[in-house]
Amino acid sequence: MRRIALTLLLGACCLSQAEAAVAEKTDLRLGFVKLTDMAPLAVALEQGFFEDEGLFVSVEAQANWKVLQDRVTDGQLDAAHMLAGQVVAASAGLGSQARLQTSLVLDLHGNACTVSKDIWQQVPAAQKSATGQAQSASVLQTTLNAYAEQGKTMQFGTVFPYSSHNYELRYWLAAGGIHPGFYAPEQGDNSGQLQAQLLISVTPPPQMPATMEAGTLQGFCVGEPWNQQAVQKGLGVVLVTNEQLHGAMAEKVLGVTADWAKANPITHIKLIKALLRAGYWLDQNNNANRAAAAKMIAQPHYVGADVGILSRSMTGTFEFEQGKTSQQQDFNVFFRYHATYPFYADAIWYLSQMRRWGQIAEVKDDSWYLQQAQQVFQPEPYQQAAAELITEGKFKATDFVDFKTASLTRPGKASSFIDDKTFDPAAPNAYLQQFAIGQQSAAQIAATAKN
Amino acid sequence: MQKTHLELTQVGISFPTEKGPFVALQNVNLHIKKGEFVSLIGHSGCGKSTVLNIVAGLHQATAGGVILNHKEVTEPGPERAVVFQNHSLLPWLTVYQNVELAVKQQSKGKKTKAEIRDWVEHNLALVHMSHALDKRPGEISGGMKQRVGIARALAMQPEVLLMDEPFGALDALTRAHLQDSLMEIQAQLNTTVMMITHDVDEAVLLSDRIVMMTNGPAATIGEILTVDLPRPRHRLQLADDPTYNHYRHQVLSFLYEKQRKVEDLGSKRAEKQQQKTQASA
Amino acid sequence: MKILHHPAFHQWQSQFSSTLFWRKQLKQSLLTFSGLLVFVLCWQLASSQIQTSLGQFPGPTQAAAQWSQLVDEYQAEQQREDAFYQRQLERHAALLAADPQAELPNLPYRARPTFFSQILTSLQTVLTGFVLASLIAIPLGILIGLSSNLYQVFNPLIQLFKPISPLAWLPLVTLIVSSVDLSAAWGSRSFVVSVCTVMLCSLWPTLLNTAVGVSQVPQDLLNVSKVLRLSWWRHLRIIVLPSAVPMIFTGLRLSLGIAWMVLIAAEMLAQNPGLGKFVWDEFQNGSSNSLSRICVAVLVIGLLGFALDRLMLTLQRKVNWDKSAVSR
Repeated sequence: MRRIALTLLLGACCLSQAEAAVAEKTDLRLGFVKLTDMAPLAVALEQGFFEDEGLFVSVEAQANWKVLQDRVTDGQLDAAHMLAGQVVAASAGLGSQARLQTSLVLDLHGNACTVSKDIWQQVPAAQKSATGQAQSASVLQTTLNAYAEQGKTMQFGTVFPYSSHNYELRYWLAAGGIHPGFYAPEQGDNSGQLQAQLLISVTPPPQMPATMEAGTLQGFCVGEPWNQQAVQKGLGVVLVTNEQLHGAMAEKVLGVTADWAKANPITHIKLIKALLRAGYWLDQNNNANRAAAAKMIAQPHYVGADVGILSRSMTGTFEFEQGKTSQQQDFNVFFRYHATYPFYADAIWYLSQMRRWGQIAEVKDDSWYLQQAQQVFQPEPYQQAAAELITEGKFKATDFVDFKTASLTRPGKASSFIDDKTFDPAAPNAYLQQFAIGQQSAAQIAATAKN
Repeated sequence: MQKTHLELTQVGISFPTEKGPFVALQNVNLHIKKGEFVSLIGHSGCGKSTVLNIVAGLHQATAGGVILNHKEVTEPGPERAVVFQNHSLLPWLTVYQNVELAVKQQSKGKKTKAEIRDWVEHNLALVHMSHALDKRPGEISGGMKQRVGIARALAMQPEVLLMDEPFGALDALTRAHLQDSLMEIQAQLNTTVMMITHDVDEAVLLSDRIVMMTNGPAATIGEILTVDLPRPRHRLQLADDPTYNHYRHQVLSFLYEKQRKVEDLGSKRAEKQQQKTQASA
Repeated sequence: MKILHHPAFHQWQSQFSSTLFWRKQLKQSLLTFSGLLVFVLCWQLASSQIQTSLGQFPGPTQAAAQWSQLVDEYQAEQQREDAFYQRQLERHAALLAADPQAELPNLPYRARPTFFSQILTSLQTVLTGFVLASLIAIPLGILIGLSSNLYQVFNPLIQLFKPISPLAWLPLVTLIVSSVDLSAAWGSRSFVVSVCTVMLCSLWPTLLNTAVGVSQVPQDLLNVSKVLRLSWWRHLRIIVLPSAVPMIFTGLRLSLGIAWMVLIAAEMLAQNPGLGKFVWDEFQNGSSNSLSRICVAVLVIGLLGFALDRLMLTLQRKVNWDKSAVSR
């Protein structure tokens, strides 16, 4: 009896410490789209991390990225599992008037590019890489030409105009010498298909395998479990993961509106704390908890796909082609390598790609990029959350990057690109000049506009 | 001499059609005294119903006018109650409620609830419908519906009772009963009645005067026959009465000799044949 | 005891004791049952022949298995709710132990939508939308029916809006609802969007049928009204409306059927947590169970639509004075 009272008392002390600063809003709704990297949200809910912070959260699946963004913007959702690219784009005024920002990266990479089995079979055996992975897009050239002769164009899918998948797909295609198309928003052309050698269009992630099966798409770039599902159904072959494409890069973030963050700073910090603990749990002990996590998100109200398929990428056994698996330990990274800290370099990279493909219509000087990045990625709430977690003894100071000396770029595992180009976030314009395909100069932009 | 109760003066009506105005009635002049029972008789389509509708106020005369008790008739009203050919009972109300509606509308606060109930039941008793107060029109026969229609009209205590072939759809026995009831009621209440009928016997039996209308278009009053038979009239007695038969003969001769409308088919065919042979010759 | 002597009771009693009655009931039940049985057998046969990318098309057994799964999930959710409140009690106890004056936050459990709560949401949404549609359509229909001029004015508009699909209305409705500042009392945005869409699509049959019913009051009855000199209001209440009721109810029944169909589509896109969302989410999940669960949902949607129609029919029979009107 005494033991129980003591436990309760200790619990009360911890609780009262945690709830010392009272959250402005405790009843929260978070949105997500059905992808494996919504796991931190599910974990934080199921493991009670939200409740520990005094937050009562419901996590709701959204139909697609547009709906999710709209609902965050108009306040129906407090925060959401969002694409880093869409938060950056919205803040730069692209495609939306919303002012979105983030203070927490949910995971690094976790996407892959898949092509349909038919296409893969048409690629000459000599061009196929030995490992069956990290294929250059140049392998598609022959098929592209064959299509062109027949008067057809290849169709590829991506999930959102401002998503990492769009930029990764285009990067990969361009690196293989294929022109993915330009945007000309000033001329009202938002299709992104100007001068393209193949056409890229938007499809929601869960519909990708079905659309490939129907023959409407010949390839796509999407997050998990959709690549693995396509492979398992014998529909497609994965050619490259985005980790192989560009190394460590922020993939999904916890997106909030600037107004919400301003109105609910303490709630924001508590959210970040719970999600940090969730990310940590997911990567703990060399991904020991991943199998349990896969089971968790297999429930219909989370991702809902079969446990077997979810486990693949989550536990690191990635199947590139039916029957050919390989170990991809870091396919999804939720905490390791300082994954969660919002480094400006990632935002700048996304902006540079938006400029490269014409979504940002004019050439901007380097300082503009940094300014934008600083508006979107707000490290302060993260730092406060981390500080509190350290005080509570849940984390050590070494788990986090040193905030005082944190630079633009993520230390340790740097971004390394499939085409070996180097990225200096301080000089994005110079970076863009390196590319054969892409809009570099004002003259080129004008030329595109004329076509 | 009883003063004129209902006056129709130069009443005429024409309807605009594509081919020009169609004159249905013309120069209808009629003076009816209070308590008089007048029948309108004529071939189909001669405009009898139109005359009734004009008196009822359901149609507007385009020429001439109707005056009741020195007031011009321009719109319908309960003082000129109508018994329609098609009973026109409200199918969603019971027999009682149908009559009650008329009473309530007409009495408008002058009667208490008990008085209303009594009056309704009295009128229904007059037409021998007391046993079916709570039935709906869908549950009673055509004859019974017509009786309720009459009860409803009477319950409004009208100045003039207008009846548009009220017994046309009934069998002979029911018709006889209702005719007797009508005569009884009229004797009691001294209501002015204008009735349209096809039945010559009925016209002679019931009316004080029979108005015989010519054929349309531009129909007008052909002849008016005064029926000078003493009341109360009993049909069985009258069946052998020579005056009665004389009146019948007069009406029939008007209808079938002077206003022959129905040509016999045979003569028409013969006429056409003649024309054809003439043309081919 | 009085009831036992009532003539109606005797009638009912004699009906039940007659073998003819029971034989008729038996025949009807057998026919219905055999129809359903044939359907289930065809389903079983057909499903074994169809292979989709999500596996074999589910047959009745798989659907039944998913049904019990859904019931289990519902019960699991109930348990989660109980556990939550238990934890809340413990938290309160801890707070009180630390500080007897502490304020106890009494937070409601944010339940995850279960299949059954989704059914409830769908029903609530469709009935709200339907009632709103009727409240607009019936008065407007009466006005249009009474005046042929108004009819000429409104008819082109009605014919223009009537064929518009709910999926076409949705983006417009969503944008308008988003721009309006809704207080919590109206319900969530997705609910309002779904209700508005249902309303926009389902009001037309009621509107048209009411207008026709009102304009087709028999001339004889109109004459009666004129002779009785009924006031406009009494004319409407005593003559026009009862005469038009059969047509109005036909319209209502059609509208309810359309409302239910439109609701499922609207829910899918507006993300209202009802059956439409359930089907959409399952489709997105693409798990090996998804098709079976969708089959369960499809059957339930059909059953509920049927139940709603029967409800309307019962109501119609009660109100309808015209025994000759079709009521099946």
